Amino acid sequence: MPIYLYLDRRTFIHRLHPTVKILTIVAIFWSVYWVDSPLWLLPLGVLLLAGAQITRAWPNFYSLRWLFILVIFATTLTWIVFYRQGKPLLHLGPLFVSRASLEYGFGRGIKLAELLATSVLFLSTTKVEEFAYGLGEMGVPYRVGFAITLAFRLVPLFIDSALTVVQAQSLRGYDFESGSLLTRLRRYVPVTVPVFMGALRKANNMAMALEARGFGYSARPTSYVHYEVRPLDVLMLVGVGLLSAAYFLIYYTGRGAIAPR
Amino acid sequence: MKTALEPQSPIDPAGGAEAAADAVALHEVSFTYRTAQTPALLNVRLRQRAGEMIGIMGASGAGKSSLVKCLNAVIPGFEHGQFAGIVQIHGRAVKQAQVSQMAPLVGMVFQDFEAQLFSTNVAHEVAFAMEQVGLPPDEIRSRLGPALAAVGLTGFEDRDPTSLSGGEKQRLAIASVLALRPSVIVLDEPTTDLDPEGRAEVFDLIRRLRDLGLSLIIVEHETEEMRECNRIVVLRDGQVIADRPPDQLLSDRSLLAESGIRPPGLNQVLWALGIDAHARNIEEAEALIRRALPLLARTDEDRGACTAEPPDSIAVSDSGGPALVEIDNVTHIYDGAVRALDQVSLTINPGEFVAIIGQNGSGKTTLAKHVVGLLKPDCGRVMLGGRDRAALRPIEAATLVGYVFQNPDHQIFAGTVGEEVAFGPRNFGLPADEIERRCERVLKAVGLESMRGQDPFLLGRGERQRLAVASILVLQPRLLILDEPTTGLDYPQQRRMMELITELNRAGTAIVIITHTPWLVAEYARRAVLMRKGRKLFDGPVRELFNREELLGSAAFRLPEVTALGWRFGITALTAEELAAALRRSG
Repeated sequence: MPIYLYLDRRTFIHRLHPTVKILTIVAIFWSVYWVDSPLWLLPLGVLLLAGAQITRAWPNFYSLRWLFILVIFATTLTWIVFYRQGKPLLHLGPLFVSRASLEYGFGRGIKLAELLATSVLFLSTTKVEEFAYGLGEMGVPYRVGFAITLAFRLVPLFIDSALTVVQAQSLRGYDFESGSLLTRLRRYVPVTVPVFMGALRKANNMAMALEARGFGYSARPTSYVHYEVRPLDVLMLVGVGLLSAAYFLIYYTGRGAIAPR
Repeated sequence: MKTALEPQSPIDPAGGAEAAADAVALHEVSFTYRTAQTPALLNVRLRQRAGEMIGIMGASGAGKSSLVKCLNAVIPGFEHGQFAGIVQIHGRAVKQAQVSQMAPLVGMVFQDFEAQLFSTNVAHEVAFAMEQVGLPPDEIRSRLGPALAAVGLTGFEDRDPTSLSGGEKQRLAIASVLALRPSVIVLDEPTTDLDPEGRAEVFDLIRRLRDLGLSLIIVEHETEEMRECNRIVVLRDGQVIADRPPDQLLSDRSLLAESGIRPPGLNQVLWALGIDAHARNIEEAEALIRRALPLLARTDEDRGACTAEPPDSIAVSDSGGPALVEIDNVTHIYDGAVRALDQVSLTINPGEFVAIIGQNGSGKTTLAKHVVGLLKPDCGRVMLGGRDRAALRPIEAATLVGYVFQNPDHQIFAGTVGEEVAFGPRNFGLPADEIERRCERVLKAVGLESMRGQDPFLLGRGERQRLAVASILVLQPRLLILDEPTTGLDYPQQRRMMELITELNRAGTAIVIITHTPWLVAEYARRAVLMRKGRKLFDGPVRELFNREELLGSAAFRLPEVTALGWRFGITALTAEELAAALRRSG
């Protein structure tokens, strides 16, 4: 199982300053946030696809393809049902479909997929250590940055341990798919107890090993890697700054919203 | 900033210039864990001169890990409890130091290598500790190369630590403590989770570190590598009961037996021949035996042994029915890329005792998981009891084959031992009186009948391992597969586990063990299957495998010392007693 999404490539996006990368995802999140219309979400989508092409991050997108498909479809369908504005194209009992609800639902699906794609691109091009470094440069305390990197490290370990526990219990006839909701919840106990106990033990061992390696010795540890801010970083910052401003303007002038027709 | 080391206490009993020459000194150290009734350490005294290599041995729960944790203030800084006594590093007392502040002085390597690697590449991992103590970036960069070179990982800088083998991971952990240049390095069971190749890599490195003049303290269960220590300290119930050079300590039979330490294979042979000595290596053992050979009298027992069948030719109790397991040309590919099994075929008959051996990643566990149905073959098929594995209902499969996972903690969840064992039969809907009868029987078989009402989480590792066996055994499988059943157990616990397995085999259950421990294969299994890179390299009697040096070498499997010694006399022996008897006959 791949533990990290990081892909070791030598593209200009990989080489951006970690802080610039963090500000870039914030800018893209910000831009996505202000618009609902699929028309205005489209340019951002194109930008992200170009990012995937430049960074050659397609393997990650491919392995997460079902997540993307699920996010787009489930969100679109849900919002089509709940968004009840505009002239109905179809109105059957609780089912209400208008051009506006289609647009809104599809917009929501695209929006979530874009947020996901931005995160995938960020993790494909940024090592967790760079992430922590970038946060540190932005004034986030070292321990907070480190906790984030550790979470990335722990999650796959726990998933792996949970899978082993499920296998071990299934060989003892464990079946968590049948019965009422309550019985099914109770049936999770044989999995949750060993996973939880294992996680506690692992976390304890890890904390001990961390301290034994000097974690906590100094409030401001040094970093052996140093990232220079280069002209390309400045250019990127200007670019994403303009992007953020443009999208706020689109929102402010009312263009990014769905007009119920 | 607070300092880790305070000037020597005026009440320090060892005091003076002599103490300053010691790398490590413990004076009357006692510690009781907060939740425990009895002390984990009691009035421990220990001195290590700079450059010495000291081994710490003893049964599980004797206090070995607690002792080494005192050296870098994990006790009492991280593990809380009642602490008394003085711990000194280079003559200065460690008082109330934070664990992190001890890092530049005492490097600590733990057994659990997954839990001590935190970074996404090897270079970051080695830099981690140096960054923590605030070394300037240039200094960190200049130390990186030598640290990696010392452990043989030059060129691995950009590798993801999770992609390394067990031995490489442990060497990386050692590199990351070496980079801080501590004068004392402590290794707490560094090879327990490694295959023979990984063990050899780590012990080669330990020897190199000793030659560089570092002070080393190693906690270890296996005896053979400990012969190279300057001294071995034996603990029992938290107390030091012996502190002697290896040749004195490892020849003290009663001490080893009382302390739950396995005598080295070479000594076992010498003792079986009535030679009361200690051999440091095979050459020495051979010379001792050659000298004594003409004087060795043949006993009646040996004459009996001449006619007795060797253990591997004992007839397999075959009920005449179909094979229990037939694996036919099975191939398995992980993630569409890694060929974990490559056209493997294997038959297991009722009553057999098979050991599957091979390096980590050779496909042993993948193979076993196909038998129990946790994995499906990409090609080929698996038959159980003459029927297709895929067509069997879960209950039918469970009564044919049971699988005990390596770590018992992956399955233990219930409030009592009895409940834990009853979980399986209850899932399969067996009647209550039948469940009761079976629980009683298996708990007795594994020796846990008196603990039926106890909380499984309060049991020791050996007992939890036996509980895991019981909870599978209760389903009455005809074949029991055990993945590394002795990992993490001390010698008496290992013996007890293997005797339990042998008992089950005698009662008719076929056994497959997956193991890295050469002497277990030699002493207990009758048939061996050797795997390498997803292929079956050998399948036949253990004795035949142990005659094929080139085959074992190519799969990085080390011969048990007893067998290697036997070769010097042209004998393939699996146990010390067998070799002794053969030598007497030839003498």
